[in-house]
Amino acid sequence: MIKNIRTGLSFGIVAGLMTFLFGGWSVAVLGTLMGVGLGLGLGGRFPRKDPLKIAAAAFPSGLVAAVVLILLSLYQNSNVMDAIGKKPFAEDLALKANLLGFFGTVIFTSLLAALHGLPEKQERFYKMILLAILVVAFPFVDQATSLRWTAQIIFALIFVILGLGLNIVVGYAGLLDLGYAAFFAIGAYTTGILSSPVHSIELNFWLVIWIAAAMAAIWGLFLGAPTLPLRGDYLAIVTLGFGEIVPVLFKNLIDVTIKEPLTCWILPLFRIQTKCIILVEHEDLTLGEKGISPIGRPSLPLLELGEPMGSAYLIKLALMGLALALVVFLLVRSIRSGNKSISSLIGYGVALVGILLVFIPIPLTGVKFIDSLLGVLQPGEFESSRPVTWYFLIIGLILLSIFIISRLRDSRLGRAWMAIREDELAAAQMGIDPVKTKLAAFAMGATFSGFAGAFYAAYIRGIFPSVFDFSASIIILCVVILGGIGNINGVIVGGLVLMMADRLFLPALKDFLSLLLTHTVLPSINDPVVQMAVKDNANPILYRFLLFGLTLVIMMAVRPEGLIPNAQVRAELHAADEEKKG
Amino acid sequence: MLELKDVHTYYGNIHALKGISITVNDGEIVTLIGSNGAGKSTTLRTIQGLIRPRSGSIVLDGIALDKVAPHKVAELGVAQSPEGRMIFPRMTVLENLEMGAYARKEKSGFQQDLDRVFSLFPRLKERITQKGGTLSGGEQQMLAMGRALMAHPKILLLDEPSMGLAPILVELIFDTIVAINKEGTTILLVEQNALMALSIANRGYVIQTGEIIMSDSAASLKSNEMVQKAYLGIE
Ligand SMILES: Nc1ncnc2c1ncn2[C@@H]1O[C@H](COP(=O)(O)OP(=O)(O)O)[C@@H](O)[C@H]1O
Ligand SMILES: [Mg+2]
Repeated sequence: MIKNIRTGLSFGIVAGLMTFLFGGWSVAVLGTLMGVGLGLGLGGRFPRKDPLKIAAAAFPSGLVAAVVLILLSLYQNSNVMDAIGKKPFAEDLALKANLLGFFGTVIFTSLLAALHGLPEKQERFYKMILLAILVVAFPFVDQATSLRWTAQIIFALIFVILGLGLNIVVGYAGLLDLGYAAFFAIGAYTTGILSSPVHSIELNFWLVIWIAAAMAAIWGLFLGAPTLPLRGDYLAIVTLGFGEIVPVLFKNLIDVTIKEPLTCWILPLFRIQTKCIILVEHEDLTLGEKGISPIGRPSLPLLELGEPMGSAYLIKLALMGLALALVVFLLVRSIRSGNKSISSLIGYGVALVGILLVFIPIPLTGVKFIDSLLGVLQPGEFESSRPVTWYFLIIGLILLSIFIISRLRDSRLGRAWMAIREDELAAAQMGIDPVKTKLAAFAMGATFSGFAGAFYAAYIRGIFPSVFDFSASIIILCVVILGGIGNINGVIVGGLVLMMADRLFLPALKDFLSLLLTHTVLPSINDPVVQMAVKDNANPILYRFLLFGLTLVIMMAVRPEGLIPNAQVRAELHAADEEKKG
Repeated sequence: MLELKDVHTYYGNIHALKGISITVNDGEIVTLIGSNGAGKSTTLRTIQGLIRPRSGSIVLDGIALDKVAPHKVAELGVAQSPEGRMIFPRMTVLENLEMGAYARKEKSGFQQDLDRVFSLFPRLKERITQKGGTLSGGEQQMLAMGRALMAHPKILLLDEPSMGLAPILVELIFDTIVAINKEGTTILLVEQNALMALSIANRGYVIQTGEIIMSDSAASLKSNEMVQKAYLGIE
């Protein structure tokens, strides 16, 4: 009881202090999110019995958290805003926001805790639904409250995909890869080269994303192959090397000449006179430090109101619907019958064809009547000013990744990965081919960074070699470790927490501190040199890596299995404790 | 069934096997006895393909094994309960047994084999959800043998299954080996515990510093004066 109240109190304080940084409507959003987190956390502490009783038991903690939250938030609006020299939020709006925050906290805490009282299957089902609603609603709430978090959350979600991919290599197969950002770079550069006006190849994004994934996978095989005989430290060092080489390579692919080998080298060897065919001459492939920009963006039908496009769209939509129905049918059947492999493969194939079909341009011939009906089916391009479309695209990519990865994990290949991780020699004696298994891990892991890279390139609209250096590899590894090695949910939470801290929290803290200092301490400092020094150094973004490192050290000391651990890892790490207790 | 002819194996420039020839016929228990460091485990590793012989031939049912990768050897029907057991520590007992069946082509007999393993080792059934790494030494040995059996091998290679076990358990393990053999699995048993090994085997080989110095039926080896002196501790 006391423990639960204390948890509520600490949640409330953390969320309340966050309102200092974001102000405005943030109290409502933070309250809701905190309620969800608190409810999830508290629910597990009660035995699985009557949901109402659990709700009642969790209620006081939610209440404490809510009260602390709005007290801090009200203090923020009345005093803190003054201190940092901003105008307070209008009173009636502030009242609404705080009320929403209060009820959001209390209701979601009790609701989510109560779900734990249901049978396990139902609990999971309802949690999924609730989560889906939150995920779908978030960008619209964000827009309505003009918090502008969505753009940053998209970055966090890119790192979630990267973390999921790396988790295959590090978590499942146990191969420590310190150069994973190389594959992110390969995905991004493939997209950049193939869909930028700079090279006058402008392929459709929906095609390029698959090419990028395939390229990353192929390079995963190439870079994985030399590391096969290596283990542990040696493997880590070699992957570190690859991680450094790839961005440097991209930086220097600025004068590429490719000659056709038969006519240029082989035939002259036999003294046969031919004209040397040069395929590419002095081509600036990556534009070095400048980077490739702009890069083409995805477009979708049904995105915008506008001019009629043509009945071709009707056909396409019908085809898409048919393909989708077939995929759903095949999936449902394969899940029902328990025979998962072949029919689901067909399903993926059909899905792919369906998706491609929809974006192949069909000549516009149309019946006027249908055209006017189809007036709404105008394709629209994704724009940076509207993060919502990007948000749903990346959510879709993440769902696809989770689906494929969880399938892989439970497959024969997944078993082989885990056996290799545990004991390579014993695995070989079981009939597992270590070469194929490890290469599959590298290739599959790289595939997902290919997706992430393609998305990133199209989203940012430009790519620069410095983005993909060693620090990117380390951040992705941090995401995996922080969340919980080998656990899909853990990696998702890890990616969200770490990247939101990096992209949302630190910049907000920086603005807050600099405003606070400008209005309080700085005017009282006379020496302009000291004044500048204080101002410049009170920038938490400067200490980004220090903070990452600190987080990791603290995590390793307090909770080495990660935020949401893999059951196996937890059992192993805490076996010693349990022995002591028992 | 399995025939090694004049096999030489090296670790770097250490000449570990100096021309070993061993034959194991269908349905037999053959034991390879010898003192510590004689090359018993090296022989099994060479058969499995974990180390390559520099010369000589290894043939299983007419197929040459000496250039085949270890995982292919497993697919051809060779399973080993290795020295030091090498079970997967973070997998449960059941998952370990499932890994044992990885190389099998036909999956239909899986449940049957699982039942067989559990009837041979009821202890494993009690610990089905326990992590391999938390089992006791004897249980780990049972798991290693059970896992090898799950591959439904033509020939089972056992590397010192009695090592480090209490006498009662040793007896149980040897009884089980006989039971496995009665059900039709050919066994090559490597042991330092020569007395026990010779009392269940059909034939035996004695290995010393990488060379076979004697081979005979188990009964005659048991009564051989030199063997009694060197390996059975009888003066
Ligand atoms: N990995 C290794 N590297 C080098 N020498 C080894 C290795 N394994 C075994 N040996 C050597 O090979 C010889 C035979 O070892 P082994 O087959 O393990 O003996 P046994 O199993 O009969 O006790 C020993 O002299 C041992 O020192
Ligand atoms: Mg040995």
